[in-house]
Amino acid sequence: MTETESIRMEGRFHTDTVTKYFLMGIASIAISIVFFIILFIFANSTDAIRDVGIVKLFTTPRWAPGEELFGTVPIISGTLAVTAGAMIIAVPIGVSAAIFISEVAPGRFKTILKSVSEVFAGIPSVVYGFFGLMYLVPVLRDLFPDKLLLGSSWLAGSILLGIMALPTIISVSEDALNAVPRSYREASLAMGATKWETTRKVVTPAAVSGISTAIILGMGRAIGETMAVMMVCGNTPIVPDPFYNVFSGIRPITASLAFEMSYVVVGSTYYSALFFLALVLMGMVLLVSLVSKMMVSRTRKRFGEVKEGETVLHKLASKLPVSVVNGIKNGVWALVLFTVVLIASKPWLNVLGAAVLGAAVTAFSISVALLWINKLEKEGRLGADGRPLNASEFFEMLSTKTKARIRRALGLLAIVVLIYMPVSLFYDDVTSVLSGIAVAALFVVWKRLYRKVDSMRAQKVAHTGLMLVMAVTIGILLVIIVRIFVEGLPTVTWEFLTGFPEDAGRAGGIYPAIVGTLKLVAGAMIIALPLGIISGIYLAEYSKDTPLTRTIRNCIDILSGTPSIVFGLFGMTVFVILFGWGYSLIGGCITLGFMILPVIIRTTEEALKAVPQELREGSLAMGATKWQTTVKVVLPAAFGSVITGIILAIGRAAGETAPIMFTAVVAFQSKIPKSIFDPVMALPYQLYYLSTEGIAPPGMRSGVAVVLLSLVLSMFVLASIVRYHYNKKFKW
Amino acid sequence: MTNVIEIENLNLWYGDHQALKDITIPIKGNKVTALIGPSGCGKSTLIRCINRMNDLVDSCRVEGSMMFHGENIYGPDTDVIKVRKKIGMIFQKPNPFPMSIRDNITYGPKIHGVEDEDELERIVVDSLKKAALWEEVEDRLDSSAMALSGGQQQRLCIARTLSVSPEIILMDEPTSALDPIATAKIEELIDTLVKEFTVVIVTHNMQQASRISDYTGFMYLGEMIEFSKTEKLFTRPSEQLTERYITGRFG
Repeated sequence: MTETESIRMEGRFHTDTVTKYFLMGIASIAISIVFFIILFIFANSTDAIRDVGIVKLFTTPRWAPGEELFGTVPIISGTLAVTAGAMIIAVPIGVSAAIFISEVAPGRFKTILKSVSEVFAGIPSVVYGFFGLMYLVPVLRDLFPDKLLLGSSWLAGSILLGIMALPTIISVSEDALNAVPRSYREASLAMGATKWETTRKVVTPAAVSGISTAIILGMGRAIGETMAVMMVCGNTPIVPDPFYNVFSGIRPITASLAFEMSYVVVGSTYYSALFFLALVLMGMVLLVSLVSKMMVSRTRKRFGEVKEGETVLHKLASKLPVSVVNGIKNGVWALVLFTVVLIASKPWLNVLGAAVLGAAVTAFSISVALLWINKLEKEGRLGADGRPLNASEFFEMLSTKTKARIRRALGLLAIVVLIYMPVSLFYDDVTSVLSGIAVAALFVVWKRLYRKVDSMRAQKVAHTGLMLVMAVTIGILLVIIVRIFVEGLPTVTWEFLTGFPEDAGRAGGIYPAIVGTLKLVAGAMIIALPLGIISGIYLAEYSKDTPLTRTIRNCIDILSGTPSIVFGLFGMTVFVILFGWGYSLIGGCITLGFMILPVIIRTTEEALKAVPQELREGSLAMGATKWQTTVKVVLPAAFGSVITGIILAIGRAAGETAPIMFTAVVAFQSKIPKSIFDPVMALPYQLYYLSTEGIAPPGMRSGVAVVLLSLVLSMFVLASIVRYHYNKKFKW
Repeated sequence: MTNVIEIENLNLWYGDHQALKDITIPIKGNKVTALIGPSGCGKSTLIRCINRMNDLVDSCRVEGSMMFHGENIYGPDTDVIKVRKKIGMIFQKPNPFPMSIRDNITYGPKIHGVEDEDELERIVVDSLKKAALWEEVEDRLDSSAMALSGGQQQRLCIARTLSVSPEIILMDEPTSALDPIATAKIEELIDTLVKEFTVVIVTHNMQQASRISDYTGFMYLGEMIEFSKTEKLFTRPSEQLTERYITGRFG
C-alpha cells in the first residue's frame, strides 16, 4: 500500500494569500499618490481661500496679482474658451475620420490609419507648441493682419489644441463604432439601406454614447494641456470681448500655473492663489472623468448589458422624492434658458439689464408652458400619465410634428447664431445677421435638394467627403513632421549632438540635454516599472470587485487624467520645497515616474487580461499556485504587449515638459552633473526655452525639435517592431 | 403557382472553400419554403445569397444564376439596394435597432423616401398589426425597442421588414433564440404572412419545417440533396440520406 499525501494545508497561510496581500499593498500606492497630490494642492490653496475668500476668488473680474486682485474668472474662462474652440475644430474632423476608418476604409488601411493616429498622440506637446509658435501663429497673423498683431491668440490655441485632441477623439470614437453589433448593420442593409444610410442612421446613433465619451476624453486632454497653450495663446488673463472674439489673447489655468509659478514668492497669497487655480483645474478634470464614466455606463445600458436605471445619476435620482428630482430638472432648464439669454444680450445691455431680460424670458416661458398645460387639462387632452411635471416630460407630450418643428426651428436659430458670431468680428451687426439668415436658408434648400439625390450617389459624395477629411488629418501630421525636419535637420551635426551649449544656449551643442532626458526617463522607469507592473498584475489576476480595488481603479483613472502641470506642482512642493532638494534629477524622476505610472498599470493589466483563460486553467489544474501560473505562464504570454506599452510610455515620458520644469531642469549647463541631487538639462524644456526666449537662431530650435521628435518617433517604431515580432510568436 | 425565384447551378466559394455546390431550386410565390440540414450544410449561406447579404463577406464569390421574376439577382447591372428592398430578411437573433419602437419601423420607409408623417404613422400601425405585435405595444410606441421580450423583438423585426413592403421574407432560423411560446407565435404569424408574401425559412428543427412549410429542401455539405413538397419529403423521401436525416440517424 502506498502512502497518500495529505491534502490539508501546511502552516496557517497559503503562500498565494501572502502574495496577494503583498501585491495589494503595492497597488494601493496609487491611492496614496492621489491622496497626497490632492492634499498638497489643497493645503497650499487654503491661504488664498482664507485671505481672499472663496466668493471673491470666483467673482472678482480681474486677475492682477500686482494689485492683490485674484479673480479666477478670466483664467477659468480662458480654459473653457480654448477647450470649446478646440472641440469645435476637433469634433467634426475627429468623428468623421473615425467613421472613415471604421466604416469606409478597407481592412488593410484601417491598421495603418490607426497607427498614424497613434503617432499623432505621441508627439510631445512642446513640439506642437513649437510648431504653433513657428508656423501656425505667423500664418494666422498674415491671414488676419487687422485683427491679430502678434498672432498668438485664442484662435491659435484652439487650432493647436484641436489638432492635439484629434487622436483621442479618433481612436475612442472608432472603438465605439466598431463595437456596434454587426447585426444592426445587417438588419439595415437587409432592408435596402445603403452603407452610408446605415452608417448615418443606425451605426452612428448606436455609438453616440461612445462618441460622446471620446469627445469628453478629448476635452480632458485639452483642459489639461500646458505647454502648447502656454506658447500660442497670447498670455493675457482676460475674458474675450465679445465673448466669442477668437482673436483675443487668453490664458488658461494650466498656462497661468506654468507662467507664474516661476516668479511667485513661496508662501505668499499669490502663491496660494495659484494653487487654488490648480485645485479648480483638478476639479474640472475630475468632473470630466466622472461624466465620461457615466457615458460609458450609458453605452453599456444601450446594448442591454445593464438594466434601465442603473447609471449613477439614475441611482441618485431614485433615492430622491419625485418632486425634488423634477424641481432640479426644471431648475436646470430654467438656468440654461436664463444663461443663454444673458450671454446673448450681453453685447447690447449691461450685466444688470441682461440679467433682468434673462429672468423675464425665463418667467415668460414657464408661464406659457403652465397655461398650455392648463388648457390641455381642461380639454381633457392629457394622457393617462397625468400632467407633465418637468420640462422634458412637457416636451415629450407634444405631438411628433410639433417636436420636429421645434427641433428644426432651434437648429436654424443655432445656424444663424453660429454664423453671426464669427462674421460680426469683421462686419457690422446687420450684415452679420443677414449672412446668418442666408446660410440658414441655404441649409434648408440644400436639405430639400438632398432628399431628391439618388441614395447611391449620396453615398459616393459622403464617402469622398470623409476620405478628404481623413486626408487632411494625415496631411496636418505630415506637415508638422516634415517642416520641423526640413528646417532642423541641417543643424543636427555630430558637434550639435555631442557638444556643450555656448552663449546661454544660443550656439553649441545639446549633449547635456540629451543625457539629461535619458537620465530622467531611465530614473522615471526605475520608479514606475516595478510599481506599475506589480499593480497591473494585482488588478488583472488577483483583484476581486471589492471597495478597495474599486478605489484603486478610480485612483488610477484620476492619475491618468491629472494634467501634467499638476504633477509638476506636486513635485515642486514636495521635493524642491518640503525636502529642500531644490531642482534635482531625482525629484524630476519621481515626478515623471508618478505621471507615467497609470500608463504602465493599464498596459500591464490589459495585456494580462488578453491572455486566454485556458492557459491559466491548464497550469492551475496541474497544481501550480496562482503566482507560479502568473509568472511562468501568463506573463510570458503577455510579454510582447507589456513591452510595447512600456516603450510607448518611455516615449511619452521623454517628451513631457511640465512635470520637470519646476522640479529638475535648467536651461544651461557646461558640464554633465554627477550627483542625482543636481539639476539637469532636458530636450523638451530646451525646446520650450529656446522657442519662447526668442534669442536662439531658428535652426537651433528646430534642431532640438528634430532630436526630440526622432527620439519619440523611434520609440514608436521600436514598439511596432516588438508588437509585430510577438504577434507572430503568440497567436490565439 | 409561379416561381418567384429560380436558382440555377449556383456555386459559392469563401476563399478556396466551396460552400454551395450546383444548387438548383425554385421558390414558389405565396408559399413557405424551408431549408433543412445539419449545421454547416450551407443552408444559411444559401438564404443569405438570395438578398445578397453575402456581399458583406470580402472573400465570397458566387457563380450561376438566381432569377427574380426573370431578372438575375447577380446580374452586372442589378441594384443590390432594390434587391434587398424587395427581399427582406429576419435574422437568427432578434436585432432591433436601439431606438424607439416607432423609429424602428419608420427607419425603412424613411430611407426609401417616405416623408409624410401621416403616411409613416399608417405604415407603423399597419406593419405592427401584420406582425401581430400591435396590441402589445400600441401604448408605448415611443419607448425603447430594447425593452421588449425576445419574441416581441423578433416580431418587431418582422414588422420592420414589412414596413418597406417586400415580396419575399427570408428567415434565418428566426426562432432559435426564442422560447416555445414565442416560437409558436412566430409560426402562427408565418402562416398568415404567407397569404401576402413569400417566405423562405432556414430551420434546424425538422418538426418546425414539417409544420409550417409547403416545400422543403434538404441540404448536406453544400449540396441540395432533395427538394420537394414538404409532405412528400417527410413521408416518402427519395434519397436515402434524406431519410436517415429526418429519422434522426445523423445530424
